[in-house]
Amino acid sequence: MLASAFSLLAQEAPTIEELKQQLDLDSLIMTETFYYWTVVVMWLIHVGFMAYEAGVARRKNIMSTAMKNILTIAVVTPTFYYFGWYIYGCFEEGWPKSGHASPDAVPGFCGLTAPWSSGLGPNMESNLTGHLSLVFFLAFLLFSWTTGSIMSGALIERVRLSAYLLLTVVLGSVVWIMDAAWGWSGGGWLTTRFGFHDSIASLVVHGVAGAFTLGVLLNLGPRIGKYDVLGRARSFRPHNTHMTLMGLMLIFTGFYGFYAACLVIQSTITPGWLNIYLSPTTLGAIAFVITFGFAGGFTGGWVASRGDPFWTLSGGLAGVISVSAGADVYHPSLAYLLSITGGMFAVWVGTWIERTLRIDDAVGAVAVHGFCGFYGVFLVGIFAGGYPTGVNNVPVSFGGQMIGILTFIPLGFLPGYAASWVLKKLNLLRVPAEVELEGLDMAEFQQDFFPEFERVPETVVLPTGEEVEAAPILLEALAQTNGHRTAVGVSEERRTP
Amino acid sequence: MIDSFPFDEWSDDIGAFWTFWSEDKTGTYIMTVLGIIVMIAAFVYWTWLEDRKLAAQAALLRGAGGLPAPGGVPPGPGPSQPPLAGPSTDPGD
Repeated sequence: MLASAFSLLAQEAPTIEELKQQLDLDSLIMTETFYYWTVVVMWLIHVGFMAYEAGVARRKNIMSTAMKNILTIAVVTPTFYYFGWYIYGCFEEGWPKSGHASPDAVPGFCGLTAPWSSGLGPNMESNLTGHLSLVFFLAFLLFSWTTGSIMSGALIERVRLSAYLLLTVVLGSVVWIMDAAWGWSGGGWLTTRFGFHDSIASLVVHGVAGAFTLGVLLNLGPRIGKYDVLGRARSFRPHNTHMTLMGLMLIFTGFYGFYAACLVIQSTITPGWLNIYLSPTTLGAIAFVITFGFAGGFTGGWVASRGDPFWTLSGGLAGVISVSAGADVYHPSLAYLLSITGGMFAVWVGTWIERTLRIDDAVGAVAVHGFCGFYGVFLVGIFAGGYPTGVNNVPVSFGGQMIGILTFIPLGFLPGYAASWVLKKLNLLRVPAEVELEGLDMAEFQQDFFPEFERVPETVVLPTGEEVEAAPILLEALAQTNGHRTAVGVSEERRTP
Repeated sequence: MIDSFPFDEWSDDIGAFWTFWSEDKTGTYIMTVLGIIVMIAAFVYWTWLEDRKLAAQAALLRGAGGLPAPGGVPPGPGPSQPPLAGPSTDPGD
């Protein structure tokens, strides 16, 4: 023991240079470890989306609903690797200025985002270009899955699985990452020129996914029997509301990883935590805002829906999304108050979309993610005006935020509408009407997933609130135009047995 | 066979070709192209297979002489159509 102590004392003290090298290495390891664990936590978002949507689905559509969430990972991962990440790295100015050249604001980053680059392989030459690029990629990949999952729930019970997968590739590996390059990066043109500020992705993830979903829903049409001949909305009972609420709670847990992954930390290069635009913030600040966002959102959702469990929890999600854009700068009380309004708006807008626009969004995704995503960026223009954003310290302004909103509405909506329109014309968007009535699980998997439990007659809730047996209503709706100004998307041949 | 394989002579070259070991990126480009081809093939197969499943089930339901009861269970213990998912159970395959 004593000999060991003398041995240590006898060693030469490390030089300043050696200490600096050790500190740099420790910092890199800490950063890589941090992002790795954000990815682990963010998996819970996808567990949650799966449970949430499967719970909302009727018993006959459970597995087809869950498989959409699982296979989102199978299709977005390779497409995001092959071209999505490259879009983020190289399209910050709108279009690469000179082919594969790097943008000026982030020199070298563009070149590290191609699938054959050293930045996307196990390159051991440099921790910075190797390990950190990989964990950054993974964090963004999880954001991409999230955009697909946002759309997924809205389309359930009538969309083809393959159609959803193709649409989610367009959304998750092209559309959202393009908007992230423009407005959610240090060198994005919206940030460097207009001070666009959406620090934790209210709009760039949620809003754009909601706008894309709206475009798809217009072509997809409502579920058979959703509307009566007068255009009044009926309701389908979720097969397991408790599973849905548990799924939402898992999503909320994963959001803490999502929020953390939106920050930048590399202690020997940056002065502590930075937001995605490389402006200072703290992990504590955003954790505070997310927590108050949930509290306010639950409150707003509960009040506006008069205690409906589904909308109370969806209100929590809406509340957080409404304050995410300014989560790096908001006072907790401001976040609380704004998130209450977000939770309330989600209920009102969701009801308006369902009853007035007659768009069948099965989980309220357009209202919760779409509307509140844009609302969050709008609020930053009012409550955080003048806050310097990005490496150029361009102040946040209401005009700059509006330019972002007006840019991203068409960027989200038009590709969703166009891609789903093409699939509809190819008759690849929607399942046949007979299959929809019987349930997608029988056609997709040839089995009922509760084999030990007797099936009770399916019910539907009328606009008057009365719950009745669904069969006669759905069969009659099939013979009509589904009570919607847009036909359900099945041919005359398929309507007639 | 395993003992006689010239691992030492081949391993460096193979490793350099297929991994990020060296500056030679030929293997990386080949794997990238192969990955993209397989990915597209998987999309096409998914779409084709699902279309086949849906068309088969819709035809079965139409052929049954009426529209299906919403959420109805097919008669009998087995599936209502030959399973298109899962491994083949036909010994002739």
